[in-house]
This record gives sequence, C-alpha cells and structure tokens, in this order.
Amino acid sequence: MSFLARHRPIVTAYAIALVLLAVGTIHSLDFVGGGQIRTMLIYASFIGIIGLGQTLCILTGGIDLSVPWTLTGAAVLTSQLTADGHALLPVIVLVLAFAAVVGLLNGLGVAYAGVPPIIMTLGMNGALQGLLLVYTNGGIAATPPKALTDFVLGDALGVPNQLWIWAAVIAVGCALLSLTTFGRRLYAIGTNRRAAELAGVRVRRVLVVPYVLSAVGAAVTGLLMMGFTGQAFLSMGDPYLFSSAVAVAVGGASILGGSGHYTGTIGGALVLTLVASLLPLFKLGTAWLQIAYGVILLATVYAASLRLTRKKD
Amino acid sequence: MSATATPPAAGGAAARLQTARAALARGGTSAWMPYVYALALGAAIYLLQPALIDGPGALDARASAVVPLALVAFGQTLVMFTRGIDLAVGGVVSTATAILATKAVGSTAGLVVLLLALVALGAFAGALNGAAIAATRLQPFIVTLATWSIWGGVALVILPTEGGASPPQLTTWVLGSFLGVPKSVWAIVVLFALWLWLRRTRLITDLRAIGSDEQRARLIGVPIARRKLQCYALSGVLAALAGIWIAAQTGSGAPNAGDPFILNSVAAVVVGGTSIFGGTGSAAASIVGAIAFLMIPDLISALQLSSFWSVFFQGALLIVAVTASSIAVQLRQRKAVA
Repeated sequence: MSFLARHRPIVTAYAIALVLLAVGTIHSLDFVGGGQIRTMLIYASFIGIIGLGQTLCILTGGIDLSVPWTLTGAAVLTSQLTADGHALLPVIVLVLAFAAVVGLLNGLGVAYAGVPPIIMTLGMNGALQGLLLVYTNGGIAATPPKALTDFVLGDALGVPNQLWIWAAVIAVGCALLSLTTFGRRLYAIGTNRRAAELAGVRVRRVLVVPYVLSAVGAAVTGLLMMGFTGQAFLSMGDPYLFSSAVAVAVGGASILGGSGHYTGTIGGALVLTLVASLLPLFKLGTAWLQIAYGVILLATVYAASLRLTRKKD
Repeated sequence: MSATATPPAAGGAAARLQTARAALARGGTSAWMPYVYALALGAAIYLLQPALIDGPGALDARASAVVPLALVAFGQTLVMFTRGIDLAVGGVVSTATAILATKAVGSTAGLVVLLLALVALGAFAGALNGAAIAATRLQPFIVTLATWSIWGGVALVILPTEGGASPPQLTTWVLGSFLGVPKSVWAIVVLFALWLWLRRTRLITDLRAIGSDEQRARLIGVPIARRKLQCYALSGVLAALAGIWIAAQTGSGAPNAGDPFILNSVAAVVVGGTSIFGGTGSAAASIVGAIAFLMIPDLISALQLSSFWSVFFQGALLIVAVTASSIAVQLRQRKAVA
C-alpha cells in the first residue's frame, strides 16, 4: 500500500486545508498576506495543543468534555494568584499539578469505575465551573502577569514562542504515538479492549494517562491564551469543547477508537482555523462558526464510518 | 389446608404486601433511591429554612423550576433506555427560547401557531438525530454533540445576546393556578400520567430491549431504526416544550439558556436510577430525580453559602451518582462471572 493510500484520511485533512487557503486567497489577496499566516498558525496552535490530549482520549474510544473549564481554570487561577503577589513559576507548577489532578480524577472514573467518558467529563466540567465561579465570585479583576504576556508574544529566531511550544508538543505527541510502547497500547485498547487485556496490557492503568495529558494540555493552552489575549475571562474555554473534538475528527481519527494520529489532528486544527478566518469574509460571525463546526463534525464522522464499513466488506 | 382456612381479606392483604415487597426487590436499590434523595434533601432544607418548603408560593416556585428539567429529563430517559445520550437538548432549548424572544406575536391564534411550529421544530431536530444514529450506526454522543453545536449556533444567529421579550400572553398562560393548584404542579402531574400510560406501550418495551441487547432485539423483530427515531424525536419535542416553558417563565430569552440542561438532565436521569448502560429505569423516577437535583440550590441558600456552590455540587452529584452506579454494575458483572 502506498503512503498516500495508507494515510488517506490524514492527507485529506491537509488537502482540505489547502483548498480553504486557496478559496481565501481567491476571495481576497490579503487573506495570506501581511502576517496573516502567522496569526492563523498561532490560533491553530491553541486548538493543536489541546488536540493532542483529545486525540489520545479519542484513540481509546473516549472523549474529554472537561476541556473548557480546565482551560479557563488554569488561566483564572494563574492571573489571580500572581496578582496576589505569588511568583509566576511556582504558580504555573501548581496550576499544572491541579490540572493533572482533574485529569487523574477523570481517568480513574473512566478506567477503574467504568463510567462512560462522556458523562464523567461532563460532570467534571460542571463541577470545575462551580468551583471557579465560587473562587472568582462570578467575575475576574486580575490581569495576567507581564512575564507571561511578554513570553507568549515574544519571538525566537523570528518564530513566535507560542509556535515553538506547539512544535515541541507536536514532537512529543508524534513520538509518543509512533515510537513508544505506550502509543501502541493506546491503539490496542482502542481497537479491542478485551484483546489488549489478554495480550497483557494493563488496560486500566494505561487508560488513565490520556485524560491526565488532556487536562494538562488544556491548562497549558489556557496559560498561553491568557498571555496572547492579555486577559483571563470565564467563557474563554467554551469554544474548545467543540473545536478540539472536531479537529480530531477532521484529522481522520475514528470516534470508535483505535485509528487516527496526531498528525491528522494538526491538519484538523489548520482546517478549523481557516474556516474561522474565512467566515468573516462572507460576513458570517461566531454563531455561524459554531454551526459550521457541527456540520463539519457530522460530515467527517459520517465519512469515517463509510470508510469503516467499506473496510469490513 | 391452612391456606384455605385463612380469611380471604387477610390473604389478599398478605399477598398484596408480598407483591409490593417483590416489586421493591425487583427494582433494586436504584428504584427507590431518588425518593430517598428527594425526601432527605427536602427534610434538610425544611429543618434549616422551613419557609423554602411550606412558605407561601414555595410549592409553585419549586414546581415551576422543576417543569423544564422534568421535561428534558423525561426525553433523556427514553434515549438512555437505548444506551444513547442526547446532548442536542441544550441547543434545542436555546433555539426555542431565542425564537420566542424575538418573534412579536399579535394574536392568540398566532401564538398558538408559533408554539406548534416550535414543537414541530423540536420533533424535526430530534428526528434528525435519530435518523443519523439509526441509519449510520454513528455513536449517539458524537451525533448529538454536532447537532448541539448546530442548534446552539442557530440560537445565537436568532438572538445574539441575552434579552428580547417573549409574548406576554404566554407568561400569563403559565403563571397562576388552575382549580386552586399551581399550573406548574399540573404540568408535573401530566408528565407522571404520560409516563404511566407510556410505560405500558410497545415503544418503551422496545426501547428497553434495544438498550439491554441490540442484536437480540433485532432478532426478535424490534423495529430498531424506527424506535430510535421515535425516542430522539420525543426528546426533541420535550426539549422544545422546556424552551417554551423557560421563555414564558423568564419573559425573555438567552442564546445559551439550554446549555445547563445537558448536564442537569443526565444528572436527573442518573439520580433517578435509570441505568446509563441501558435497558432499565423509569421516567417517573427521573422526574423525582429532577426534583431532588433542583433542591441543591435551595439547600445551598438555606446554608447561606454563595449560590455558585450549587453549580459545583450539581456537577459533583452527577459524578458521584454515576460512579456509584458504574461500580455497582461492575461488581454485579464480576459476581455473575464468578
């Protein structure tokens, strides 16, 4: 089987991204000019970094819906604690540890108690929302620390720091899935949990990890986003509930688990960012973006299910 | 011999007691847990702040808050019988309130037509979910996640920010009493009656059969595609009705009014003891679950805590209830294997 045929879903995602780019350029030449590509890549990196954890969860046949409030929580906690006079680095360590605990609870519930991932993470999202509302009393006054904004908006070798971080996430994600036994075990569990168990994989232990990584990834995205936009606000995580899942689906991963790769999710993140930048050209706002996400999600999972039935025949 | 000698009346009572006991045992712990939750929470609130339970208008206020959640939870129960989940209810509720908040209706007849159209829209949205799930064998959560996004977007297109005004006649229809009992209480009674009728029907038996074993259900001739279409369509209709009730209650609209109903309806169903693994449960228990679930905000205010705590405890209750029932299922399976 040739490379193209084997990776058709992933290649399709990048092809769609190219088509969208072409559509934008035809509509207006400014679409790719004047640092637009750079801005789009930065927006794509937010979805991309969250997308790694979501990819891992979906590979095992699960999903993480607690992403929005984990992201918001990390940003809000950091801005509030540094405003109270705590040093930035310990605060970041604390916030990431907090996210890891959230992910651990999700993972334990899914892997050991056998709770369906969708319900476990939905409940976690609600609980986190409540905790943050109590903590902030329904509003935030603090601004993000200057050190963080400077870092996120800064450059190294002409490339924004934000994109360097995404590059590191891409390297880790691809290595994790393609080179490690952990990656192979994830695929094995997603394909057939019982068979993986019989083959000696400690399924429950492995199954916890994607949720921890997803929560930590969401927290990192929250910090970067706060640095980029210069503020933390309570609804900042909302769009990522859909966009992270849609990016994974557009990237060709099967929602049933067992097939897909982070390289596809990267393509998916690019596609979603292009859609988000194209819609305003046609005078369609964020409401239409949300509708577009839904339609794209339906279309891609339907295409994936067709692929699956064809393979069986 | 002695059995025939006992007076028939006493025998009847003993037999009745026995059937009642058997029914309780058959239902298992989960069948009566929602009633325990509701009574315990109600008692706790009553001890702290009696006025929240028996004060003037307390019953009406509680019942009006329960009605929309009871409606959505009713539909969610039917969907969960089949091992499905309907996340789209959030978007459908939002769309219904957004439409009511932006459409100016002059006459009563016009309003009735609009309400009928909204119910039809709910049925359409639900049927679309059902059709996609039945025809493509895609998982319910991913299909309804997509349609939640779509209907949430539609609500935002119609009503970009909170506000608008829903028709004033609608509010007067919902407020007040009928025969001395608040209309909201009547609405809940009607829902209970609907379940008492529905549970004897072929539809519910089939939905339960699909949930406990879809392959076997197919073999015994359950029309799986049609039943799935029907239960998602019903869930859509009930979500639209909930949206109408909220618009009437608040007199305005919010483009994300429906979002809390996703978590809350699943929680009401789980607290009501319906299995998330399909096959068993009852919509009446989900309504009681909704009543218990909505006592949390009252308990929080009776304890004089910040009202934001109720959001936390509602999410936490879902996690605890669903973890407990999942562990119970695992233990039962382990026992069955051993």
